[in-house]
This record gives sequence, structure tokens and C-alpha cells, in this order.
Amino acid sequence: MSIFTRIIKNPHLQFLAFGVLLCLLPTVGKSMGMKSSTLQTLGFMLIFSIVALGLNLLLGYSGLISLGSAGFMGLGAYLASYVQDDLNLGFWVAILLAVVLPTLIGLVVGVISLRIHSIYLAIATLCISEILLKTFEQLDWFTHGTAGKQSKYPIIFGVQTDRTLVFILIVVCLVIVMMLTYNMVHGQMGRALHAMRSSEVAARAMGVNVLKYKLFAFSIATLYAGLAGSLYLFFLKSSYPTTWNMFMSLNIIAMVVVGGLRSIYGTIAGAFVIWAVPELVLKKLPVIGDVSGLPYIFSGVLIIVVIMFFPQGIKGLADIAVRGVRRLFPRKDQANVANKENQEVMA
Amino acid sequence: MDLFVQPLLRSLETGSVYALAALGIVIVWRTSLVMHFAQGSMGMFSGTAVAFVLNHWGLPLWQAVLCGVVVAVLCGFLVDFAIIRRLKRATSVGKEIITLGLIMVFLGLAPIIFGTDPMLVPKAIPSGDVSLAGANISYNGIFNILLGIAIAVGLYFVLQKTKIGLAVRATASNEPTARLMGIPTRTVTLFAWAAAGVLGMLAAVMIAPTTTVTPVFMNAVQVSALFACVLGGFQTFYGPVFAAYIIAIASNFLKLHVSSVWGDQIMFGLILLFLLIRPNGLVGKTFVAKV
Repeated sequence: MSIFTRIIKNPHLQFLAFGVLLCLLPTVGKSMGMKSSTLQTLGFMLIFSIVALGLNLLLGYSGLISLGSAGFMGLGAYLASYVQDDLNLGFWVAILLAVVLPTLIGLVVGVISLRIHSIYLAIATLCISEILLKTFEQLDWFTHGTAGKQSKYPIIFGVQTDRTLVFILIVVCLVIVMMLTYNMVHGQMGRALHAMRSSEVAARAMGVNVLKYKLFAFSIATLYAGLAGSLYLFFLKSSYPTTWNMFMSLNIIAMVVVGGLRSIYGTIAGAFVIWAVPELVLKKLPVIGDVSGLPYIFSGVLIIVVIMFFPQGIKGLADIAVRGVRRLFPRKDQANVANKENQEVMA
Repeated sequence: MDLFVQPLLRSLETGSVYALAALGIVIVWRTSLVMHFAQGSMGMFSGTAVAFVLNHWGLPLWQAVLCGVVVAVLCGFLVDFAIIRRLKRATSVGKEIITLGLIMVFLGLAPIIFGTDPMLVPKAIPSGDVSLAGANISYNGIFNILLGIAIAVGLYFVLQKTKIGLAVRATASNEPTARLMGIPTRTVTLFAWAAAGVLGMLAAVMIAPTTTVTPVFMNAVQVSALFACVLGGFQTFYGPVFAAYIIAIASNFLKLHVSSVWGDQIMFGLILLFLLIRPNGLVGKTFVAKV
């Protein structure tokens, strides 16, 4: 393999290149006449990608459903706003607390529900989500209740950011999260999770501490949710309790399922389909574009269709497409190898 | 105002609503091993159909409820026939995600079919109330409490004493064996989904007079019914019913005597703690995972 292909094949460099492309989007887009609302939609899509990557780790590898993604995101958002705007402790403390505290709460919930039975995690996270939602509505000094909490763009390294810079911040966070997820999945933890996925009992017999890894996956999911929540706040500059309802959690599950379980780029593609397509395409369609429930039906039907017919999601479809293209245009070296094998068999 | 009997009666009223919705979830769980997250949403959908018939066609309540039964049964049939039945190879997680998808489908369909205007549903018995041990309760409240208990008891007898009930219980305990014994398990499952739909619709019609009919009016019922199932355990049909009443009573009394703001949060926290102590619910038996 030449150095060039080795560089191209390096997943971390691919993630970086992906990030650089996304960072160019605001400037290039502006010169191409992209609306600022489109940038906003894409920004939210990337934020949801971060949460969905965490949930993909949980759902794809340990088969656990969390219905609390939105609740933990909301907690991250309100914490970030409280630390930045009310306590004036600055951006770094805000983002740190928004990441750490939801993770700790997630750990407690995980210890309770995972010790019992896996199906209870969905209900337990629903429970926590309801508690958080009611708290957001009523804890006035912390969230300003239903009136909504207003915030402002953060100051990072003494630079007052604006919408474009926060978009770049989101991209940086997403690339870090992608790399982290890749490393986890391809490390010792990934192997343990793979073993658990095919048979929990067998994994346990091989000495894998099942509870520990489930707990780890769940706390990573809440960590990503907290991070995404704080980014959401910095990007939108406000937060309302109604945002963090169960339907946002359902949408995030839809992103993971539609994108394809256990796939990093698939998750981002899923976020694009579930979040950006209704915003950018469906709303502009004639006649049906004005219907209020359309995005819900779109996500719901996609979930059902994907589980029934394409369990691998977009990632599976992409794999099939790539295989088809390869078959049409076989590469030279592969063709040679195949010929050689044939000759050997003939001999 | 009395601080014990009055809230107790009111909790029994909401408890009946939760119990009916929870019964639907348990019936589906026992027959098709699917955690039916969409119970509340499907109830909302057929409940909205009832409100639509009432408000736009002007039919009396009982005829509207009959229409609601038809809608609920059709939805149940459709979901089982078109989706759940074809999922034999999907994992249990996949089935759970399907019902989560159903929530969104019904939530999106309701405003498209029945319009976005909020609608009202009258009480089954419009007026009149009685004094009971120093507390007031409307005839409608008594009717709701009795209806909830009657349906729960009736269902219990059907399940325990009739041939149909035997078929349901056999399917619930071991589906392949039941099929080998000649029980039409597919029909049982089909009717279980329809029954769940009707129970959800009744819960919706009972809770509707206290609020306006919008796509989100069943959210509290949906969540409470799921908690009732977990608290009561999925192994029996009566466990979730008891748990539903307990949740309703606990919620009201915590709000009244402890904190009106933090009552619900305390109750949800208590449910989590309870699960830690008794993982299989009030009357549950333990799961045994076989290799």
C-alpha cells in the first residue's frame, strides 16, 4: 500500500477532512447564496449527530434503548446557560459542567436499571426524562420556567463568537466525538461490546464484565447528550422546556435506526434524513408541505420501514451500492488476484 | 374541604384511566412480547376520532364511542397484521423501536385526519354530584371509577374462566406450544392488539372531559400506564391494575401533602427506588434467562 492510500484510508484523517469540509460550509455557502436558516438547520443536524452517536453506541452495541436523550440534552443546555449567564464563569466551566453532571446522573440511573433487567432502562430513562422535564418547567431560578431561558454566544479564548464560529465549534466537537467513538469501538471496549451483542451469557463466560460495559456505554451516551445540549444552547441562544420532550428522544432514536446501527457516518446521514430533510425539503413541497404532522409521520414511517425491510439502514444501502459499483468496475489489482487464484485452482 | 376522601376519590378516577391503558400494554406484551410504547398514542388517535364524530357529526356520546371502538379495532388489526406479524425475525429491541415509531405515526396522523383545532368531549353523565363521607364526587366520577373496575374485573373473568381466556393465557405462556396444541395464536394476537386499542380509546374518552383533545392530551396517561406496568410487573394481568391505582393515589397525595411542585418528581423517584428493591414489580416472578 502506498503512503498516499494509507493516508486516505486512515479513519482519523478522514474524520478531520470531513470536519474541514464542514467548516468551509458557512463561507462557501454564503458565497453560493445559501440561506442562513439552512446553516441553522445543518448546525442542529450536527448537534443531533453527536447525541445520536452516543445513542448508537448504546443501542447498536448493547441493544439498550434510552428514551432520556432529550432530558439529558436539556439538562446540559440549562446547566451551560446557568453557569455562563447567571454565574458568569465563562465558556469552559459551562461546557465542563454540562458534560459532567448529566453523566453522573446517567451513571446513577444506569446502576439502578441495568442491574435489574435491560428492558427497564427504556422505562427508567423515560422516568428520568419526565422528572427533568417537570423540573425544567418549575425550577424558575434555574430555567426561567416556561418563559424560556435566554443566553448569548460564548466568549472562547477572549474571542466573542458569532453564529459561524459556534457552527465551527460544533464541527470541532463532532469530529472529536467521532474520533473518540471510533477509538472506543475499535479498542478493547469495542471487542467486549461485540461479544456481548452476540451473546451476553457467552461474553460473561469469557470474563467480560457485562454490567460494567453496559454502564460505560450508557454513560458515554449521556455524556454526548450533555455536550450536545450545551452546544444547542450556544447555537440557538435560548432554551424552552417544551423542546426537551419525548419526541426529541424519539427523533434521535430514529436517526440511529435509519442511519444504521454501529456506523459513524451512517448516524450522521441518519441525522440528515430525520432532521434536515423535513426542514429543507418536506416543508417546501406544495400542498402537503403545510401539514403540521408531516415530519412526525416521515420519521415514524421511516423507522418502521427500516426495521422491517432494511435493518442495516442507510449504511447497509450504501454498502450494497458500493459492492455493486465494485462489481461493475473491478479494480486491477483485485482482478489480478482473482485471476491468480483461478489459475491456482485450475492448476 | 376534606383532605383525605376527596383526593382519594379523584385518584380512583384517574387510576381507572391509567388501569385501562396499562391493561392494554400488558395484553399486548403477554401475547406478542412487544413493549407497547404506543398504547397512549393509539388511544389518543381513536379518542380524537370520538371527539371528531361528536363535534363535527353531532352524534350522541354512545354512538361516538361505538365509532371510536371501530376505529380502535381497525387500528389494532392494521398494526398487528401489517407490521407486528411480519416481525418474527426482528429482535425484541427492533419491536420496541417499531412501537416507538408508531407513536410518531399516530401523532402525525391525528391532526391531518381530524384537523388541528382542539376539541372538547362532554362527560358521560353531564351533571349531578353526591356527598360521600364529607366529600363531593360527580356522578360521572363514580361512573368512571365503576367502569374502570368493571372492565378490569370483567377482563379478569374472561381471561381466567372462559375458553377465549384460556387461549390468551396459553399464547402468553408459550406461543409455539400453544400453536401446536391447535390454538389460533395469530388470531389471539390480532384480537389482543384490537383489545388494547379499545382499552386505550376508553381511557382517552374518560380523561378527555378534564382537558381539550389535542395530539398530546394522552401523554401523561401514556407515561403513567407504562410505569404502572413496570411497577405491577408484566407477569400478571391484575398487577398493573393495582399499580395504576397506586400511582394515581400516590401522585395526588404527594402533590397535596408534600409538595405541589415536586410531587410527581418524588413519585417517579420512588418508582425507580422500588424497582431496585423489587425488580419484577409488585406481583412479578423472576425472569430466567436461558442460554
